[in-house]
Amino acid sequence: MWKFLARRLLIFLPTLIVISFLAFGLSTCTPGDPVMLFLNLGNNPGAQLSNPTSYENEYREMAASLGIDKPVFYFTITTSAYPDTLHHFVQKERRECVRALIARYGNWPQIEHYYQQIALLNRKLFQVKGQASGEALTRARATLPFLYIQDKDPLIRYHLDTLQFAFRSDSALQAAAGAQFDALNAAYGRVKQEATPSAHWIPAFYWHGADNQYHRWLLRLLQGDLGVSYRDRLPVAGKLATALRWTLLINGLAILLAYGLAIPLGVYAAVHRGARRDRLIAVVLFALHSLPVFWIATLMIIFFTTPEYGMDWFPTMGVGDTDKGDSSWQVFTTRVSHLTLPVICLTYGSLAFISRQMRSSMVEALEQDFVRTARAKGLRESVVIWKHAFRNALSPIVTMLASVLPAAIAGSVVIEVIFGIPGMGKLTVDAIGAKDWPIVYAVLMLAALVTMAGILLADVLYGIIDPRVTLGKKKES
Amino acid sequence: MFGRKKRQRDTGGGNRRQSPWVLARQRLRQHRPAVWSLRILVVLLFIALFADFIANVRPIYCRIEGRHFFPVMQQYAVSLGLSNWKPPFNGNNWRELTYEKAIMPLIPYSANTLDVYNSNFVGPFDKQKTKSPRYRHWLGTNRVGHDVAAGLVAGTRTAMLVGVVAMALATLIGVLLGSLAGYFGDQHLRLSRAAVLLYLLGLAAGYYYAFIARSAAWMDGNLLIEIIKSISIIAACLVFCHFLIKWVEKISVLKKPMPLPVDAIVVRLIEVLNAIPTLLLILSIIVLIKRPSIFYVMAIIGLVRWTGIARFVRGELLRIRQLGYIEAGRALGFSEWRILWRHALPNALSPVLIAIAFGIANAILLEAFLSFLGIGLSVDTVTWGTLLNEARSQPKAWWLAFFPGFAIFVSVTIFNLLGEGLNEALNPRLHR
Repeated sequence: MWKFLARRLLIFLPTLIVISFLAFGLSTCTPGDPVMLFLNLGNNPGAQLSNPTSYENEYREMAASLGIDKPVFYFTITTSAYPDTLHHFVQKERRECVRALIARYGNWPQIEHYYQQIALLNRKLFQVKGQASGEALTRARATLPFLYIQDKDPLIRYHLDTLQFAFRSDSALQAAAGAQFDALNAAYGRVKQEATPSAHWIPAFYWHGADNQYHRWLLRLLQGDLGVSYRDRLPVAGKLATALRWTLLINGLAILLAYGLAIPLGVYAAVHRGARRDRLIAVVLFALHSLPVFWIATLMIIFFTTPEYGMDWFPTMGVGDTDKGDSSWQVFTTRVSHLTLPVICLTYGSLAFISRQMRSSMVEALEQDFVRTARAKGLRESVVIWKHAFRNALSPIVTMLASVLPAAIAGSVVIEVIFGIPGMGKLTVDAIGAKDWPIVYAVLMLAALVTMAGILLADVLYGIIDPRVTLGKKKES
Repeated sequence: MFGRKKRQRDTGGGNRRQSPWVLARQRLRQHRPAVWSLRILVVLLFIALFADFIANVRPIYCRIEGRHFFPVMQQYAVSLGLSNWKPPFNGNNWRELTYEKAIMPLIPYSANTLDVYNSNFVGPFDKQKTKSPRYRHWLGTNRVGHDVAAGLVAGTRTAMLVGVVAMALATLIGVLLGSLAGYFGDQHLRLSRAAVLLYLLGLAAGYYYAFIARSAAWMDGNLLIEIIKSISIIAACLVFCHFLIKWVEKISVLKKPMPLPVDAIVVRLIEVLNAIPTLLLILSIIVLIKRPSIFYVMAIIGLVRWTGIARFVRGELLRIRQLGYIEAGRALGFSEWRILWRHALPNALSPVLIAIAFGIANAILLEAFLSFLGIGLSVDTVTWGTLLNEARSQPKAWWLAFFPGFAIFVSVTIFNLLGEGLNEALNPRLHR
């Protein structure tokens, strides 16, 4: 038994690692800059205007505390045109811009020089005091930051022209920083003239070691630290724990209910197979199976929770408010009234699925020879059905738990969103709306874990129910 | 397709009734729900195909000042860039023009036509401010005055397109990987070490030169053209390496054959995809797309949902490869690939048909739910899901909840019934 568990867990390990690659890889592709969010700047490229150096320091500190000033993975495979130090550009917008410039021109030294010239000119513009008139200086200061994040030639040209116009219109400014501007202009000219796009045809491989974002993310994940929500800076793990409780509660209730109803129904249909009752059950179950859950849920919300049609029987949204002082009976009734509709919605879909399976495996069992023998012995019909046939028909139903559980979790996304239940599904959809990426990808990881736990559970139950299956041995697939 | 070929080849004249596909078709005909589903499916496909002629604010034919126009047809030319609107038309003044004579589509509204006189949830039985009963909103309107019936027609097109394209992609991937895994297993696909090495090298080089080295082209270029270019680069790299194999095999160490564990790889891949709830996976991929479009939704559903088909094909081929006629094919000296594609795979396709039918139902549901959440679609797309979602904000508007949901229900049901019918017609276990 333990050996079997250990082996299964070992088999899960590579799958989990691949899933972690997937979740982490997707999370690095998310749009937006988390540091900007944390600094409460939003996507405002002009934010560094007032004081560039202190802004940059602040940014650097925040990025370091979030760990995103490190290389993304253990290694990078890229073209020889890229340096291995690209992650030193801490600011995401600038890093993307440099990357795009290198993709276009392929000459890192010239681009680095051009970037240094932007920084130098920026510093100079903030050292100019008094001599230059306000207007030209303000315009120059406002324009320059755009060069940091611009990689398209016409736009760079446009900003350079704007700068040139500002310098021309103000002789004091020209005297103070004109030389630096000319250097910048020349640097950009060299980037374009000395372009080496052929550098892209030679691959390059850089090894970064364990000090990378994925490594840190994985280590923290193993310690149960799933990062911080972008929206309110609360730990994701805590939010997930609360949400998971609700999801497991409604799914657990729904699965219990579905199995509780489906097993007798399936057995009944199998015993009366071919009769009109059987066909009626089949048609009803099929209709239930085909009814889209979110349609039924929407209809229920509209008809049973609003006074519009005179059937305002249930509360509309959420799980109900309960005070600490409420008696447990009060809490219970509030919960029941809020959770009735969602649990019904969750139940009916899997009910159809499970009872169809139950019926077919029961039909198979009832046609076996040992059932005829049992009847011939003169056993009571109920004993024949439940003791002999049913036990042998049970194993496929149990293994189905492995597929019912993930389906239920996915299905509950729908239900949670529509009924406003604060479970994992609603958490995810809300997080997507708020661009709160750490939550989205933590949920992805967690859902995978829960699913795999479900598969494991089904395997173990399979062994317990069916004595022919020995857990120690490798099963044939 | 396979069925017809086979019948002509190996049965010929008299006893063609014995072909399994003919039998299957007969059995499918006896399955009345499936027959009805097929009929409804034909209607739905007709609506999807001719949506522009069924619900459109433009007339199919009109006469203005003695001149004849076919605006619906012309719209196709305009959207392809072959033509443009000339006076009296400007592209959206259809409802202001006075026609001497006009043949309007059945529903004289497009999905995104705003009827300002009938905005703010006018029901099917409410009083409507239209110039004639011909322009009545038979299924009501939504908050801004979109005609629900026109929205349903447009939604039919989206749903069918998503179902068919997504499952076509899934079938392609599923059949390919499933048949490789099932037929060859872990031991039987043997290539020389040189071949394995070079194919891997070709794949890596292809990926590098298609994507990493051409990142500048990916930034500026047309997406479709770049995809085609990249695929051809990868193919070129593979072909190049294929021709190198002969030379490299001259080194005797590299000539030794080694088994490729295709089955293990495919099964692991399926396991990974199945471990993540599909909906969450699709959601977390779709949110990364900068310009949402229905085509990404199709592609992602297709890329995620092939595992069921692959499992079916794999299972069938595991059984088929043990059969005598495969052995016979080998004895006749056929190549493994020929046996797989020409002899084994056609006999493994019946469960695929069943899986495709259920898969389309599933894909339609997924798309409806995604648009219900408003994720992954461009803002102006009208689908069944977006209409249904509007019902949540206005409980009074039962027509917004009922009709789109019913459309989803009908299309999901007919594909499920078709799957059932196919299952009964094709599953030999049920006919013992």
